[in-house]
Amino acid sequence: MGGGTNKPVLFVDGKRLDGRDIDELRPIKIKASVLHRANGSCYLEWGENKIMAAVFGPRECIPRHRVDPYSAVINCRYRMSPFASLDEHSKAGPSRRSTELSKVIREVFENVVIGSKYPKTAIDISMEVLQADGGTRCAAITAASIALADAGIPMKDLVCAVAVGKIDGKLAIDFSKIEDNYGNADIPIAVSSRNKEILLLQMDGLMTKDEMSQAMDMAINASDKIHALQVEALKEVYTRKAQDKPDEQVS
Amino acid sequence: MKIVVPGEILVDKPVRMADSYIENGNTYSEVVGLFHETEMRLVALEGAYLPMDEDYVVGVVEEVKFAGYNVEINSPYSAFLSTKDTRFQFEMGDVLFAKVKGVDEVKNVNLFDARKLQGGEIVQISPVKVPRVIGKKSSMLNMLIDATKSEIYVGKNGRMWIKGGDSSLAARSILKIEKEAHMSGLTDRMKDFLQKESGGNNKV
Repeated sequence: MGGGTNKPVLFVDGKRLDGRDIDELRPIKIKASVLHRANGSCYLEWGENKIMAAVFGPRECIPRHRVDPYSAVINCRYRMSPFASLDEHSKAGPSRRSTELSKVIREVFENVVIGSKYPKTAIDISMEVLQADGGTRCAAITAASIALADAGIPMKDLVCAVAVGKIDGKLAIDFSKIEDNYGNADIPIAVSSRNKEILLLQMDGLMTKDEMSQAMDMAINASDKIHALQVEALKEVYTRKAQDKPDEQVS
Repeated sequence: MKIVVPGEILVDKPVRMADSYIENGNTYSEVVGLFHETEMRLVALEGAYLPMDEDYVVGVVEEVKFAGYNVEINSPYSAFLSTKDTRFQFEMGDVLFAKVKGVDEVKNVNLFDARKLQGGEIVQISPVKVPRVIGKKSSMLNMLIDATKSEIYVGKNGRMWIKGGDSSLAARSILKIEKEAHMSGLTDRMKDFLQKESGGNNKV
């Protein structure tokens, strides 16, 4: 998928290129409440991915014609920094890809945020990909969900996202860039952690019906692991604050 | 007492609580908060200020109009103070202390009983931490005022106006309360802090 003709071997002795099993996630590091200007923020490292998410609001909705008198409006901005990856993302400004991702991520959060509590306002979610290595939309959703909770925005649930797919004919989870580029199928899934509702489902490539349902199970299992890390990160904020440790301020 | 996150189950039966929702007979949290199991109470740890009737707020005049003033009250919604409802004349940038007269269904906020606050300093904390600054039967606030001899006006919107006395200590204390609001035994710790910081000169 998008890869060239020099397809590398993706499995070595039953393990993936980075030594993982098929159902193993890359190491995830989450730190909530890292920015001081934003109402809520999160820094997330997911393998080689580095994402910063920030939430502002609820605040006055501008432009005024977009105001919803019954609910808060959610604005989402996913952006890949020019230095995040290879040349293909090195142009500044919005791209076709980032506009699409901003839209689908906004729709994810429109389903969990309880906007009716803050009518006539706007909630701005900004996700910045600092370094990319496949699966940034999933990492961005995971980070933004924590940033929203950290901003105190009422939500029905936390959202965890992960990609599943098929590489070299085998189902696997959480693709790195190389697996994404040379794999057979890639499906990013966002699930609400409480009732396992599917909030985002995209697909690139081909899969059979059976594989698809198996892949969904794998994604939902993995989402539990991600959810545990999210909860831990949100709780860590308060032990950090209590110990009076100066936060590592990004200024 | 435990920290809960959005979507976390609080009780397996429907209970009406602030910042929670009921689904399939269970009660879930909407926010990151502290849940007191015995009292069945959920206290949010983050969040914006939503104006409520009878709240006292510290606001800043952002616009002077013919019939009154638009006042910024650290909320998604700005408030309006009619000239009919105040004895004072304000200018842009003036700080005032006022009571919320009413909030209608389209979130128009009206203020009344406003007084001008001249001089002094403003400390801004998260609005959800304000009850901790006041304490039970305003015990914490009285302790702060006794120790610092400052005049302190506490707005429900998270703004504190401080004037006179040891205002620096008052400000530091308020920020400390904000930081430790989620832990128990806060009053005792603040007592020690105030005693230490004021060098034992003031009896707390």
